[in-house]
Amino acid sequence: MAQGKIVKVAGPLIVAENMADSRMYDVVRVSDKRLVGEIIELRGDLASIQVYEETAGLKPGEPVESTGDQLSVELGPGLIESIFDGIQRPLTAIRDRVGDRIKRGVEVYALDRERKWIFEPVKSIGDKVDSGTIIGIVQETASVEHKIMVPHGISGIIKSIFASNATITETICEIEDEKGNIHPITMMQKWPVRRGRPYNEKISPNNPMVTGQRVIDTFFPVAMGGVAAVPGPFGSGKTVVQHQLAKWSDADIIVYVGCGERGNEMTDVLREFPRLHDPKTGESLMRRTVLIANTSDMPVAAREASIYTGITIAEYYRDMGYKVAIMADSTSRWAEALREMSGRLEEMPGEEGYPAYLSSRVAEFYERAGMVKCLGDDGRVGAITAIGAVSPPGGDISEPVSQATLRIVKVFWGLSAQLAYMRHFPAIDWLQSYSLYLDRLSDWYSNNVSPEFNDMRQKAMNILQKESELEEIVRLVGIDALSWKDRLTMEVARMIREDFLHQNAFDEIDTYTSLEKQAAMLRLILLYGEKGQQALDEGANLSTVVDVPVRERIGRSKYIKEEDLYKFDEIEAELLSQVTAIDEQGGL
Amino acid sequence: MLNNTKMGAVGERSAVLAFKALGMQVIPTSTEEETTNALFKLKKQGIGIIFITENEAKQAEEALMRYRNDFELTIIPIPGSNGSTGYAMEIIKKNVEKALGANILFEN
Repeated sequence: MAQGKIVKVAGPLIVAENMADSRMYDVVRVSDKRLVGEIIELRGDLASIQVYEETAGLKPGEPVESTGDQLSVELGPGLIESIFDGIQRPLTAIRDRVGDRIKRGVEVYALDRERKWIFEPVKSIGDKVDSGTIIGIVQETASVEHKIMVPHGISGIIKSIFASNATITETICEIEDEKGNIHPITMMQKWPVRRGRPYNEKISPNNPMVTGQRVIDTFFPVAMGGVAAVPGPFGSGKTVVQHQLAKWSDADIIVYVGCGERGNEMTDVLREFPRLHDPKTGESLMRRTVLIANTSDMPVAAREASIYTGITIAEYYRDMGYKVAIMADSTSRWAEALREMSGRLEEMPGEEGYPAYLSSRVAEFYERAGMVKCLGDDGRVGAITAIGAVSPPGGDISEPVSQATLRIVKVFWGLSAQLAYMRHFPAIDWLQSYSLYLDRLSDWYSNNVSPEFNDMRQKAMNILQKESELEEIVRLVGIDALSWKDRLTMEVARMIREDFLHQNAFDEIDTYTSLEKQAAMLRLILLYGEKGQQALDEGANLSTVVDVPVRERIGRSKYIKEEDLYKFDEIEAELLSQVTAIDEQGGL
Repeated sequence: MLNNTKMGAVGERSAVLAFKALGMQVIPTSTEEETTNALFKLKKQGIGIIFITENEAKQAEEALMRYRNDFELTIIPIPGSNGSTGYAMEIIKKNVEKALGANILFEN
């Protein structure tokens, strides 16, 4: 292929001439330092290239060489437990080779070529296979069984397949297609990141992704295969929410993309995840996690790619029939990378300088989530749930990235600076947030949690809404202006806020709450409200109802261990007996 | 209905008994609990004006609060057998202060 020549360098953007042979999105190697770049614009024989590495010291005249490949990721055993940069370079391997800071032009394979994996075939010679058919399995980690699939575009009859202890580049199977060509199959395949992996059929999700976070599971659930956004000003806990979801959601695989955020946030993940255990498998959480780190000090162009790298890896595991959750923290930094590149390309800026195609790019990312029937012969179903953090400057969600995101996502967890200031975490604002999956998931909740769960949620939400109305009155004329019933409503709302919605991510027990426990907690609080109102009707004093001793136990019920759920019945019995006592003493 | 509202009296026995002569519902009380229950009972009977002796009113302040915004029931504190303690005046002063933003009912 012809060699190009740099004519212009502008930060991460390079313009090269004599590039007429190359195609859009081809990967190129720039200068004799062999920096990785990608063609993002072609005009005549001029190509604009975004370079994924630092471009200091480059000058016009240096060579540019197209590789003819698109920016692709390597998919195969070894992905899990790895930490990659935005263009899937393994950071651990790079550190072993060049030390703590990535040097330029480092070429390391994404997946370890030396390591051997035990491949067990599930198909045999003579079987007819299609793209996506599972031909064998590899135990990738203790929690994840990696399924080796026939790569896209290959189908035919298996000529040979053998159980082996092989590296990812050794042939483990041979497939003969209709024309008699033999295709050797390895455990690794490549896929261009900007193209969604194919599937049979998209299906509409009807069960939630259980996260163990009360405000999310009870009030604003996200469907398995759904899309959610967490916008919030800084300091409001976006990252903690993302971490909590990565830790506790009931997905099989977690892909965590740290995109343009602080390095210490990735460090937290690296430190904490190996220590924590998946409640389902009992294995370390790291055993189901793929990390992609492009922290704020890493080259900006690679940040643009990191989101696509992440979602492509997620799609690969989805195709095996797994439920994958991908967290992107934060999509605003990614949009800023788009803006920077767009500015350097001298494109006409849209709102706030973001490129005019911002919303289509955001949509492209979120649209790759969903629940699908995978390719292959067994009708397996996989899902990707995408959760993107958005960091609107000043917390004002009328800015373009938040708006573009909100147009696409169905769940909105709006974090509020005020709640964070009041030390209410997770600071998800219950009046502002919404989940459009509630209707679709209501059957699942009544069948799997409790038949009354949807009613309880509605009641609790009504109480919270009533509270905000009452608060307005209190602000104007003082608490004295409220009737006792309203004051009790405010008390119950406070219980919902403090005893239910508030959840301590750093408490061993409180950090995860099963749906069963969530239902029990909510039931107790609502029961208290109901019985309290009755007692007031019977003539009891407000103070006796408010000061009933069982309230303390209700407040502490979040610290009841998952295996001690019978204690909720005890508290309920205590509540009923204490309220009856009030009735007898106060009622007439 | 408000035109023929019935009246009642609650509180110190020696002070409220006289109201019986006027045909009012009278419930003598001495503890907070008794007063609270008495008020609740009278309210339930649809009584519109209740006179209550100052000491008992002060004791059962919480119960009085309950009916403060009830437009069908007015509770009027009256002096007990030992004369006024100034409690009723205090409530009026507080209300005036709330309404006007300043106290215009000076002592002298």
